[in-house]
Amino acid sequence: MKKMIKYNWFFEQSPETVWKYLTTSELMAQWLMNNDFELVTGREFMFKSNPQPSMDFDGNVYCKILDIDPLKKLVYSWKIRQGEEKLMLDSTVTWFLIPKKGGTELILEHTGFDDWKNDMIFQAMNKGWDQNVRVKMGNLFNTKPNNETTGN
Amino acid sequence: MKQQVIDPFQAVGDPNRRQMLRLLSKESLTINALAENFDMTRPAVSKHVKILYSAGFISIEDIGRERHCMLKQSGFKQLQQWIDYFDQFWAVKLKKLEDLLNEKAKKL
Repeated sequence: MKKMIKYNWFFEQSPETVWKYLTTSELMAQWLMNNDFELVTGREFMFKSNPQPSMDFDGNVYCKILDIDPLKKLVYSWKIRQGEEKLMLDSTVTWFLIPKKGGTELILEHTGFDDWKNDMIFQAMNKGWDQNVRVKMGNLFNTKPNNETTGN
Repeated sequence: MKQQVIDPFQAVGDPNRRQMLRLLSKESLTINALAENFDMTRPAVSKHVKILYSAGFISIEDIGRERHCMLKQSGFKQLQQWIDYFDQFWAVKLKKLEDLLNEKAKKL
């Protein structure tokens, strides 16, 4: 069952160079998205990309730097909102840089899809939607009925 | 019924609403039949049903005098969309970063 998005990517450049492209606003804009990033723990910033109307996505990603380990690791939150209030996605992006012979291994982990609220939905969705899932969902909805926030 | 968009995460965040979805995953039920399974007032049940409806988890059909609730898939699909979207997104962006870095290296 898929719990996160993960990529391992090899670059022929040094960790210093890769780190620079991960943490410098103008350089990030060249390959990722326009942003007002600043490499300071706790700093809030935003990415702006093209809106995706079919998903009600205005193209804005709201982030906050959670952890910095220079040349090794960078963590920021990755939130998508609809309007002022409504949170549509509450996830986390983590970058790991590992020095390798002749370059750098970059690992991207996009997580937050595995907390309680996503968990049930993930299971239901990953198996597709058919009669079997409807039956299995009976079990899913029975899991973790307590210790969580109540909605409206 | 007033159409108002609700966060699917929020909709399934309540144990009563998950129980309603669980019951509806077995069979379609009228709001009255659904209400019999819960120790709450009929208006309270209706309120939960409305939230599930707004989040796209169920559809409601008027048959005769009764309102029938049934499970719908769009609420689940919306969440799947995000994962699919960003999975693809990162693949494209990482390739772009690779191309950019290789291009710069050539120029040096």
